[in-house]
Amino acid sequence: MKDTVITARRKKTEVFTFIACIVVAIGLNIFAIAKYNTAWSELYSQIVYVLVIGCIIYALWTVLRLVFYGIIGLIRRL
Amino acid sequence: MEQKTISRREFLKEMGLVAGVSLLASSPWFSAFAQEQETQKEKARLAVIGTGSRGCFHLNMFVRDPKCEVVAICDDYRPSIDAALKITPHANVYTVYRKLLEDPNVDGVLIATPLHLHREMVEASFQAGKHVFCEKSLSKTLDDALAIYKAYQNTDKVLFVGQQRLFDPRYIKAIEMIEQGVIGPIQGIKTFWYRNNDWRRPVPSPELERKINWRLYREFSLGMMTELACHQVQLGSWALKELPNRMMGSGSLTWWKDGREVYDNVSILYLYDSGVRMSFDSIISNKFYGCEEQIMGHEGTIEPEKGKFFYETIPPAAGILQLVNEAEKGIFESIPFAGPSWVPETANKNKGEFLIGEKPKEDGSRLTDRAFVEAVITGKRVEKLVEEGYYATTLSILGDQAMQEGRIIDYPDEYKIDYLNHKAPSALAPAAPENV
Ligand SMILES: NC(=O)c1ccc[n+]([C@@H]2O[C@H](COP(=O)([O-])OP(=O)(O)OC[C@H]3O[C@@H](n4cnc5c(N)ncnc54)[C@H](O)[C@@H]3O)[C@@H](O)[C@H]2O)c1
Repeated sequence: MKDTVITARRKKTEVFTFIACIVVAIGLNIFAIAKYNTAWSELYSQIVYVLVIGCIIYALWTVLRLVFYGIIGLIRRL
Repeated sequence: MEQKTISRREFLKEMGLVAGVSLLASSPWFSAFAQEQETQKEKARLAVIGTGSRGCFHLNMFVRDPKCEVVAICDDYRPSIDAALKITPHANVYTVYRKLLEDPNVDGVLIATPLHLHREMVEASFQAGKHVFCEKSLSKTLDDALAIYKAYQNTDKVLFVGQQRLFDPRYIKAIEMIEQGVIGPIQGIKTFWYRNNDWRRPVPSPELERKINWRLYREFSLGMMTELACHQVQLGSWALKELPNRMMGSGSLTWWKDGREVYDNVSILYLYDSGVRMSFDSIISNKFYGCEEQIMGHEGTIEPEKGKFFYETIPPAAGILQLVNEAEKGIFESIPFAGPSWVPETANKNKGEFLIGEKPKEDGSRLTDRAFVEAVITGKRVEKLVEEGYYATTLSILGDQAMQEGRIIDYPDEYKIDYLNHKAPSALAPAAPENV
């Protein structure tokens, strides 16, 4: 089995991507509070759900990226 | 035998309430415990007349109360005496209640005989200078109920009535919530008591049938009205602070056609001047819905037997959850051809919340007995308790009359006493002209 090297650049990209996902989740929460006219205290009271949703978005985004780069790699090999 | 006193503080703790002040306001009868610290070393010497099933139930409470000493029992049926002696072996035994009343060691008596005997026993007890706890229903007739009330007015002794809901923490909390407007103005009260049993007790020999199964015969009882309705209709006056002036109903014998004379299937409506109605329904051949009182306010419903309350509108889920839910629906639910034009209005699935934070453990009987012991020691009467018991009894009797006669009954003026919206006839009569 080959050693895998995760570069500092990759790590930085992933951290930024994750932060972006959390920001998107917070944005969704703000949108939902405004849309359903619920209490603004949900900005912090629902923080656990927001973090979970952020993780889900990050996971989905990762799957999308893997599929995208997989296909690109395949095309390049051909 | 474990003896345990309950202090007012413990009682409040039991109810999950920190501040007892507002609670006291909704439960005047709870004032019986006001001096419970000062009476710590005193004892009420009690006797039980009628040691059948309910009498023994009370005996079991009394022997566990360190402030109480059961000095005598009375019954005219040997098996009942034997059952009582198992609970309180050292009590003096009487078979004639008037002899018991001559016993100077007795401060108060609890009467748990069939209700047609209550009047003579209560009157004789007061005459003998005893404090009295009379089991519900106070009586089988309106005249007897009024006579008991008058006897009470003409003595300075204490009278308790076995309406234990008045001492039940769930009910006290429910009334407090109603008074605070938590469920909004009451729009109606539905009470029901369903069982599936014949209500018979085994009889060792046929000549004892009427003595043992007295509940089933009109000579002694009005069946479900005096036995069950009596507890539930009392809630109406307590919750609404109003007494009904009209009643109508229908009763029949649909299942237990075994020679009994009382109905096994009844339905009554009590009509209040405010337009609100309270219903009582009872069938003893189907127990699916059990026993409950549903107090329906504009903003919520209380079911004190379950110990729960339900708001009409449940607060919406958090916005983010609604958003996720909507997205999920959009993804997984197929698009209908057309929305339904009619949706059945089935009962609300709202699970509600417990009135006192947890599932109810017992009814108010234990506290009623403890309050009686306190009242016998202090000699202090408990406000409104007798009036609540009086109206629970008369409304049950009038409900039966409405069913028997198949007509709408007006509450007769001559049986009104000064309570809530009712005025005793003497209070209504024009004042006699003053001598000049
Ligand atoms: N508050 C409640 O929840 C509740 C529950 C059950 C019964 N009760 C009431 O308690 C009372 C008794 O009911 P119960 O189920 O115990 O009936 P029961 O038949 O089991 O007991 C009645 C007892 O009274 C005795 N008795 C009859 N005549 C007597 C007399 N002249 N002198 C002395 N004793 C006499 C009988 O022998 C019997 O032992 C009724 O008024 C009933 O409505 C109240």
